[in-house]
Amino acid sequence: MAEDSYTREEENYEDEELDETSFKSVKDAVLFAIDISSSMLTPRPSPDPKKHGDESPTSAALKCAYHLMQQRIISNPHDMIGVLLYGTQSSKFYDENEEDRGDLSYPHCYLYTDLDVPSAQEVKQLRSLASPADADDDVRQVLEPSKEPVSMANMLFCANQIFTSKAPNFSSRRLFVVTDNDNPHADNKGMRSAATVRARDLYDLGVNIELFPISQPSHEFDTSKFYDDIIYKTSPSDGDAPAYLQPDTNISTAKGDGLSLLNSLLSSINSRSVPRRSLFSNVPLEIGPDFKISVNGYLLLKKQEPARSCFVWQGGETAQIAKGVTTLMSDDTGQEIEKTDIRKAYKFGGEQVSFTIEEQQALRSFGDPVIRIIGFKPLSALPFWANVKHPSFIYPSEEDYIGSTRVFSAFQQKLLDSEKLALVWFIPRKNASPVLAAMIAGAEKIDENGVQKIPPGMWIIPLPFADDVRQNPESTVHRAGDALTDAMRDVIRQLQLPKGLYEPSKYPNPSLQWHYRILQAIALDEDHPESPDDKTVPKYRQVHKRAGDYILKWADELKLQASEMFGGSAATSTLVKRGAKTEAADDHPAKRVKVEDNTSGVEAEVKKCYEKGTVSKLTVVVLKEFLHSHGRATAGKKADLVERVEQYFEKKF
Amino acid sequence: MADKEATVYIIDMGRSMGERRHGRPMTDLEWAMQYVWDRITATVATGRKTATVGVVGLRTDGTINDLEEENFSNISVLFGLGQVLMPDIRRLREIIKPSNTNRGDAISSIVIAVQMILEYTKKNKYKRKIVLVTNGTSVMNDDGIEDIIAKMKEVNIELVVIGADFDDAEYGVKEEDKDSQKAENETLLRSLTEDCEGVYGTLEQAVSELDIPRIKVTKSMPSFKGNLMLGNPEEYDTAITIPVERYFRTYVAKPISASSFVPRSGTEPGSQAPSKGNGEGDALTSVRTSRTYQITDESAPGGKVDVERDDLAKGYEYGRTAVPIEQTDENVATLQTFAGMGLIGFVRKDQYDRYMHMSNTNIIIPQRANDNASLAMSSLIHALYELESYAVARLVTKESKPPMLVLLAPSVEADYECLIEVQLPFAEDVRSYRFPPLDKIITVSGKVVTEHRNLPSAALKDAMSDYVDSMDFVTTNDEGEPTDGLPIDESFSPLLHRIESAVRYRAVHPNDPVLDPSERLTEFAHPSEEMVKNSKSHLEKLMSTADVKKVPPKTKGRKRQRETEKPLSGLDIDALLSLEPKRTKISTENAIPEFKQTLSRAESIDAIHDAVQQMAKIIETQITHSLGHSNYDRVIEGLGTMREELVDYEEPVVYNDFVRQLKGKMLREELGGDRRELWWFVRKGKLGLIGKSEVDSSMVEDEEAQEFLAAN
Repeated sequence: MAEDSYTREEENYEDEELDETSFKSVKDAVLFAIDISSSMLTPRPSPDPKKHGDESPTSAALKCAYHLMQQRIISNPHDMIGVLLYGTQSSKFYDENEEDRGDLSYPHCYLYTDLDVPSAQEVKQLRSLASPADADDDVRQVLEPSKEPVSMANMLFCANQIFTSKAPNFSSRRLFVVTDNDNPHADNKGMRSAATVRARDLYDLGVNIELFPISQPSHEFDTSKFYDDIIYKTSPSDGDAPAYLQPDTNISTAKGDGLSLLNSLLSSINSRSVPRRSLFSNVPLEIGPDFKISVNGYLLLKKQEPARSCFVWQGGETAQIAKGVTTLMSDDTGQEIEKTDIRKAYKFGGEQVSFTIEEQQALRSFGDPVIRIIGFKPLSALPFWANVKHPSFIYPSEEDYIGSTRVFSAFQQKLLDSEKLALVWFIPRKNASPVLAAMIAGAEKIDENGVQKIPPGMWIIPLPFADDVRQNPESTVHRAGDALTDAMRDVIRQLQLPKGLYEPSKYPNPSLQWHYRILQAIALDEDHPESPDDKTVPKYRQVHKRAGDYILKWADELKLQASEMFGGSAATSTLVKRGAKTEAADDHPAKRVKVEDNTSGVEAEVKKCYEKGTVSKLTVVVLKEFLHSHGRATAGKKADLVERVEQYFEKKF
Repeated sequence: MADKEATVYIIDMGRSMGERRHGRPMTDLEWAMQYVWDRITATVATGRKTATVGVVGLRTDGTINDLEEENFSNISVLFGLGQVLMPDIRRLREIIKPSNTNRGDAISSIVIAVQMILEYTKKNKYKRKIVLVTNGTSVMNDDGIEDIIAKMKEVNIELVVIGADFDDAEYGVKEEDKDSQKAENETLLRSLTEDCEGVYGTLEQAVSELDIPRIKVTKSMPSFKGNLMLGNPEEYDTAITIPVERYFRTYVAKPISASSFVPRSGTEPGSQAPSKGNGEGDALTSVRTSRTYQITDESAPGGKVDVERDDLAKGYEYGRTAVPIEQTDENVATLQTFAGMGLIGFVRKDQYDRYMHMSNTNIIIPQRANDNASLAMSSLIHALYELESYAVARLVTKESKPPMLVLLAPSVEADYECLIEVQLPFAEDVRSYRFPPLDKIITVSGKVVTEHRNLPSAALKDAMSDYVDSMDFVTTNDEGEPTDGLPIDESFSPLLHRIESAVRYRAVHPNDPVLDPSERLTEFAHPSEEMVKNSKSHLEKLMSTADVKKVPPKTKGRKRQRETEKPLSGLDIDALLSLEPKRTKISTENAIPEFKQTLSRAESIDAIHDAVQQMAKIIETQITHSLGHSNYDRVIEGLGTMREELVDYEEPVVYNDFVRQLKGKMLREELGGDRRELWWFVRKGKLGLIGKSEVDSSMVEDEEAQEFLAAN
């Protein structure tokens, strides 16, 4: 019997991220530890009264946790997240009873969201805590700060126990500490050293503590007072992590208003939202014959798809996912067979041509993993069209070759400076099929909060083989005259995106977001949102306002040139929809062959029929033409088409 | 659809074809068949019923053909036009052998082939072709050759003549001491092919070109037909609408895929004799799958129960919550969209990073036969080109499909204009993994350091620069002039072509081992020898400056580097730990950290043994108390940590002793019942014996370690 995931794994084999190094399961668990104190709860007013920005550090932290939780449901559906509040008046830890005071293992630690793959209920609970204004008293009570100080050692051991029991054997376990207190045990040496010992336990357990410090209005957060004794350079489980990364300096200076605090915290947490997982590790980068360094590969850009649909069983108290199990059977006897018995064969000439497993492997093998440089070309040699998939990112590793980093650095800087690319023969892992790829250097990019957006390193862009290049279909070229091109240039100039660049973070995937918003609404039995927040829809009003006049000028020029080039008949059709005046001129029934060319004729005809209630009298050809030009599906019977046309007008008016 | 094909191969099987000439290891016939089999199997591989092949033997011992005349003797139709299948290949392989005669006229065999094609194809549309392969040693009769030429031209038959040791000045083959009869034949065949505009070539060239992979030309269908829009024509009068079509520009060609089979029952895999001429095809039977569905039910034995497919609703996971979706609103979670390509704005070429390309590329061309659209597109393409800009657009290819963000770049060639389109990443597609800068080191205290062992010295940078500059990859055009392009047209998918040729080769030579990939396929696996030679001195300089040292495999992965075990401040936690009075015994709840700490403090072997004993006890208790698999992850983590640490401390014996005992206890069900599933996890995590190759002092051979894990 084979698990459902088997075939899927095979399909995604090339892109699968792996951890070949260990017995651990490649999963991530993040536990937020949020400091609840009166200073953390004090809202930081916004200087601009119009902006809704009265955010307290606590609520900013909770919002971040909520945001991360939602995001991870989409991006890492099998990873865990939890929220531990510390410094609270009340305490909560699994089965322990609030009333048995004195017996509490972890006083003033409140495990608000247990460490787990979040459920819809937990998402809702965290949301209500993050915006306490809408929450009921019970929820607000949780955020009551304790009168006596909480022991950091206790909090850290509490986290230790949560990780030990809920996320055993995870390859990545991280404790996100959000606090504005840079010296929790200033006057108690014993408590302080107990905390450092518990921090060491976490380190030995393989838990990474990541600090998100918040400066108090009165002074900067100073990590040297306490946290430098708590935080380690790298977690032992993350062997390939490079030297320690500075805490983002700007976050601690974000002492001003709540909104900027929230934003910088968000950006900082986002940048660590996923643990780094390598796509391949310690692959030799062969710069020349007998000259190798080692690098790790990562997927920094990968299309995020919604999870596949599954089967849900609703017979029990809560709905649960039914796991599909595939049984393999031999076709002639119907007997169950083991995966090891299976042979692979190719259909050929009506029969199967088969290979043994060893032969099959031999056929797929083109040598050990390598990134081998076979020469250099100017960057300009890489055509825009020569692309087949997302790139891989590589960064040096000292594990196999000492000195890899400095050589890689020299190499990366050289390629950046002289604008060259390296042609490489690329086998990312054992038995992967080789590709010819262009390797280009990428410079580091920093965002406005000082957080790294794009790391420095190199990108490997697989090139198409001759087999992958398609021939251009025939197309007639009518070269536009200079005046028409100039008119279009004016239009383009008006509509440049900010700074003339594409910024992915501004465009969340609308269908992905919608999918999960609806699921959330169904899961929580809430009303469905009305309409999606789709940032990818062009800003029509802006186009009209900024470029409208230029577009009309272009349309006039187009008409002029068209009539010169193609004679009178073509000139009557226009690609810019005009007011009623011009439309009337087009209002003659189009000839059959010209129908594609003259949408405005069809447009007017269908509209007239709709107004008279005679849409069903139109022919299928006209209906399809109309629907197609409005991006609607054209499949189905005539009745369906008529219905769709009517829907279109009903929505519009 | 590809055209129908009718190709007749005429194979000279005369006695003289059985000879080896000019020091070749194979006979002329064997040599010729390399070419013929390659061609025939290429056709078989397409699996098309309409790609038909016929085979005619020339200079055969007997005579098998419909034209019962003296002229046509010693010519045999071996396979009438039709689809070739595996049994046909096996049969032909048996009968194509050199004959005992040199009689038989090549020109007559062409007449027979023409006849076969005419009868088979009638007036239908076909690609008609005759391929004659011969060594041209026997007498040929050119009577009535004009009629033959006329007929072939009339019905559009392409004639290809390939000859062993035929002179070909262009390819550079000239046979010394050529037989005069053969020279005459060559002249005759050459003028024949020239007259009917066919192909005449020498076998040496034909065979040498077999390893040039043939590219399958795929006709692209539009993946989108709709409007490219600037602004919203439904709302504003100032919106541009250009009808366009979208086609693949690149699309990865996948190797043919294998299907799963199992040996037919009754045939033991081992006993199957490699019977000659009988492929393995009929000994295999295909694999069927059946699916069942299970849910977790703690009360059931094994914790799982089967449920019927009909009792299940379609749904999705939201976190760990299952969200069923009623059949009636199946599309509720689908974003409503309408087809179209809406321009969002424009970006500058120099502000775009090429690595943002996320997909294969497409081209966007104006709707066919729409002059206005073509003119409008041309102005957009040229305006973008002149402004050195790209357009960003939202593309929905069909109603209800998810929107994509695409980048549109102008492409202007002498007689072709289009936009090239590629997908851009959405916010969710960008993963922020952070890495330290490569040109400086920032220390913990925030100091910027520019000289460090991880940073290149000026000398290293210079050496690198010189080396890179000495390794320019040279590409040339057809005239041999250097170009600035990449060698895309000359590079072939190694896997695709290797598998394809292996399948074809295996079909004809079932008992041969698989071949290495042809040189063509691995042409770009290494830099050219000339480049290596030219850059040698620069590389030597670079290597000596770089001073890179390979890490010996033994010390790899050792994390006994004390400095990483201190917090940022460098505080000595070990000292604090040794003061902790509680930490003499390893506690169950904090086992892993305390185990590691105990080992790091251990001053004697006994202390290590003691720690291992304690840890072993904890692990066994965890197993015994595990309800089902509830503790298994913790057990594996504990076991894995022990193994890792003891490898590092080079104490394999203690671990091996423990894991041997543990295996025995688990399989004897002494630890709370059936623990076979846990043993499976141990195998999966490779947590068995520590072998010699891991730690020298281990007494366990690697084979034994493997066996330990393999055996149940």
